[in-house]
Amino acid sequence: MSSAVPLTPVPLSTEEAAAMSQRSIKKHDVAIMLVHWFNAATWILEVTTGVALITSRLFRVAPAWYSDLIGGVFGSRANLLKFHIALGVLWIAVLLPYAIFGFRNYLRAEMLNFFERDDRRWLVIRLKMILGRTDEPLPPQDAYNAGQKAFALVVWTMVPVVGISGLIMAFQLFSTTAVGWAVVFHYLAVGAVVSGLFIHVYMGAVFPEEKPAFFSMLTGNVNELFAYSHHFKWWRKVKLAEQAHERKQSPGPEKVP
Amino acid sequence: MARYAMVTDLRKCVGCQACTVACCQEWGVPAGQARTNVRTTPLSGTFPDLKSTPMVEQCNQCDRPSCVEACPSGATYKDAGGVVQVDGGVCIGCGFCLDACPYANRFINTATRKVDKCDFCSPRVVRGEPPACVATCTAHAKYFGDLEDRGSEVHRLVFWEGARRQETSSVAIGPNVYYLGKPELVALAFSSDPPHSPKLLTAGQALNGLVRPLVVGMVAATFLGQAVAFFAQIHKGEGDSHE
Repeated sequence: MSSAVPLTPVPLSTEEAAAMSQRSIKKHDVAIMLVHWFNAATWILEVTTGVALITSRLFRVAPAWYSDLIGGVFGSRANLLKFHIALGVLWIAVLLPYAIFGFRNYLRAEMLNFFERDDRRWLVIRLKMILGRTDEPLPPQDAYNAGQKAFALVVWTMVPVVGISGLIMAFQLFSTTAVGWAVVFHYLAVGAVVSGLFIHVYMGAVFPEEKPAFFSMLTGNVNELFAYSHHFKWWRKVKLAEQAHERKQSPGPEKVP
Repeated sequence: MARYAMVTDLRKCVGCQACTVACCQEWGVPAGQARTNVRTTPLSGTFPDLKSTPMVEQCNQCDRPSCVEACPSGATYKDAGGVVQVDGGVCIGCGFCLDACPYANRFINTATRKVDKCDFCSPRVVRGEPPACVATCTAHAKYFGDLEDRGSEVHRLVFWEGARRQETSSVAIGPNVYYLGKPELVALAFSSDPPHSPKLLTAGQALNGLVRPLVVGMVAATFLGQAVAFFAQIHKGEGDSHE
């Protein structure tokens, strides 16, 4: 790789690609990874217990034996509800500081800047590719691709709904009418997130092309080749920042290309 | 299996509300609310032939309770004795059951903010005591017992004395509270505040009719989508990835 950082992706030679696949770039802070896995574990437990809490034939999504099974694990349905509420409150306590402190630097900068032209094109081409209708290359993406951003958008609109409606139900806030509607919105918001979660988990853990993204949630790093081919705009920013840093460290006679 | 029932003899009831007071004392129901209440019907007929009667209202512990299905969390259920119970540890106070009761005998307790109603004093019955209202009734107008027990007083009153329960042609869900009295006065007591058809709160209707199908559809769609992709991936095999 020359020191010039290209504006658009250029084809790599085999040697360049091999060298890049050996170098790693830091993608996630340890705090972010911890929050991610805490969040994942909480979602599994809360959905498992929450589904068991809805028993009425009019509203349930799981059969009666499932509710009996999960209720049995906790000893009683009252204990099951207590666990669901306690874990939910802990979840809010952990995610709230993350949302407040992470919003400007992380979420707004990287995830919620959704409606870019490349993102919209990426979604269309990706969908066509899945359907086998196109071989067009995907437009270059930032630290998060348009699919990840779309899921982030769903999560970041729905998670506050889940948390607030959960608190209303747990502590009977405001009025009986408010609690009644909180049931409806809790159900809807969780449904929207779980629906997106299937794609998120499949893309993250199963889909071969995105495997480095999965391991980045464990190690914090992705290899440079993956960054170059999947998140070119982000790779370019990282490279430019590196160069600026190097220039600052050693202000030599060499010209800026 | 027991089948608990209560019989109120409207001929003896004087409308003194002693049962209401005893119930509120027993269960610490906040002032202004009650699990049972004695209402007096408006005057009916033309002077001088006027009629009115007290009517004791409480949960009917119906055989086919419409409130049980309305409760999303299963806090409301029918126990082995046929009594409709509310598990305060599971109730979230959503109010879906309130209008589901045709007799409007459920309320949100302002202290606990959860649903409250008569449970035939189940904790007292377990100890072998009669319900508080029966024990305290100044006129001995209330009877409590097991309809399955042929030797019981309630069995005699219901099957031999012809005690009646408040049902209409449109609302017949098997209430287990019976009333004795002059037929026209019992009819007046029933007709002056007839049961309404079980209703589900608007929020409950939205959840049942709109949100549940939507959520099930969304989750099923993405689940199937990733399942198809997963099997396609197994079928095709994985190519080289940037490892």
